[in-house]
Amino acid sequence: MSEIRLFDEGDLPAVAGLFQRRLRKQKAPASPSLQAYLKTIFLDRREADDPIASKVHVRADGRVSGFLGVLPMPMEFNGEPLRAAVCGTFMVDGHDDDPFAGARLLRDVLSGPQDLSFSETSNDISTGMWRKMRAIAPPSYCLEWLRVLRPAAFGLEMAAGRLGALRVLRPLAISVDALSGRRGEGQSWSRYRPTADKADGFSDTDASEAEFIALVPELLAPFELRPRWSSVQLEEMLVHSRRKALHGERVLRIVRARTGKAVGAFLYYGDRGRVGRVVQIMALPGLEGIVIDRLLKNAYERDMAALRGRVQPALLDAMLGRKFAFVHASSTVLHSRRPELLKTVAAGHGFFNGLAGEGWTRLIGDRFD
Amino acid sequence: MSEATRTDIRTFIIDNFLFGDESQPLPDDLSLIDNDLVDSTGILELVSFIEEHFEVKIEDADIVPANLDTIGKIVAFIDRKRVH
Repeated sequence: MSEIRLFDEGDLPAVAGLFQRRLRKQKAPASPSLQAYLKTIFLDRREADDPIASKVHVRADGRVSGFLGVLPMPMEFNGEPLRAAVCGTFMVDGHDDDPFAGARLLRDVLSGPQDLSFSETSNDISTGMWRKMRAIAPPSYCLEWLRVLRPAAFGLEMAAGRLGALRVLRPLAISVDALSGRRGEGQSWSRYRPTADKADGFSDTDASEAEFIALVPELLAPFELRPRWSSVQLEEMLVHSRRKALHGERVLRIVRARTGKAVGAFLYYGDRGRVGRVVQIMALPGLEGIVIDRLLKNAYERDMAALRGRVQPALLDAMLGRKFAFVHASSTVLHSRRPELLKTVAAGHGFFNGLAGEGWTRLIGDRFD
Repeated sequence: MSEATRTDIRTFIIDNFLFGDESQPLPDDLSLIDNDLVDSTGILELVSFIEEHFEVKIEDADIVPANLDTIGKIVAFIDRKRVH
C-alpha cells in the first residue's frame, strides 16, 4: 500500500532525482551537491518534531515517487503570530502507476497545523489542484512583470535561450542599443531612457546584509499579513541568496532620501547584457515609484538587457505608466482554514513572493554541478 | 441506499467531468482514470464532493484507484465508510 510520510535523509537520492527530472528537466543524474542542498534546506532547517515539514509519497514497492517540500515561515496577522508553510517544491513521478499521488501529497500537507499554506511557483496543474482544495490564486500576486531596457540586447538574450552561441554577440547588441538610443526621447515599451525625474532626489547604494536586515521590519510594517522573520532567519536566507549562478551576480541596494533616510530596497540578479531577475522590491508606502525608478536606473547603468520579476499588489500602481509588460507564468496560490487571512490577501494586504516564498533559495537560479 | 449513492455519483461525474454530456455510456465498471475522466485535480473535486454530500471522512490513504476508479468502486467505498 502506498503511503505519505515525512521526508527523511534516506529519501535524498530519490528526491534529488525527482528534482532533476521533473523540475530541472535534465537527464543527467542528480549531483551530490544537489542532494546536499536539499538536505540543508528541507531537513537541517527543520526543528525536531515540527509537524510543518516536507512529505514524500512512497509507492507500495517502496519507491519514492512524490515530494512536497515545505519551508515553515513565521508570519503575523495584525500582530497575531501565525505559522505558514511555503510549499514551493512539488513534484510527482510515475503518474501512470499512481495517478492520485500528487493529490494525496497536497491534501496531506494542506491539512497540517499551519495557519496558512502557499506556493509562489505553482504551475497550471498544481494550481488546479490547490483550487480544488479551496485555495485562492489572486491575480495581483500571480503576474510576472518585464521591463525591457535595451531592445537589441533583449532580443539577443531571447534568441540565445535557444542558441547559446549567440551570446558572443552581446557587446555588439549593447553598442547597437547605445547608438539607436540616442534618437527619440521619453520611455517606450521596448526601451528605457534615463531621464531626469523625481528619483534623482534619492540615491541607491550597495547594502550589506546587516543593513538590509535592519531595514526589513519597517518596510514590512504596512502589511496586515506579513512575515515575522527574526534577524537570524533573515541572515540565513540572505546567505542562501548569495549564489545563483544561472541568474548572475546578486545586487542588493538600499534607496535613500537626501536626508539619508532609507525609503526602500531592491534585490536582483543579473550580469551585463542579460535579463535580470528581481527577487524583491520593498518601499515605504507612497514611495514605490521612486524605488522602482532607482532600480531601473541601476540596472540600466549595469548594461542589463531587461528586468523581470513577480508582481506584488503594493507595486502594481507604481508600475503602471512605467512601461512594464505583464504576463502569467506561474501562480501564487494560498490556502487557509481561516477565511479572514485569504480575504486579506485577496485585498492585496499580504506580503508574499520573493523572500516570502522560495525566491531566496538556491533551488531557484543556481547550478548544482 | 447504494442505488441513491450510485445516482448521485453518476450525476456528479456527468456534471463535472463530462460537462453535462449524457450521450456517453457510463457503466459501473468504466475506469475513470484510463478514460481520462479523472486526474489529480478531478480526484480532489470528487473527494470533496463525497465528504460533503455523503458526510463521510476520507483519509489520504483512501485516495487510491482501488476505491475511486469506477462508479462501482466509489459506491462500494462509500457504503463501507458509512458502516464504519
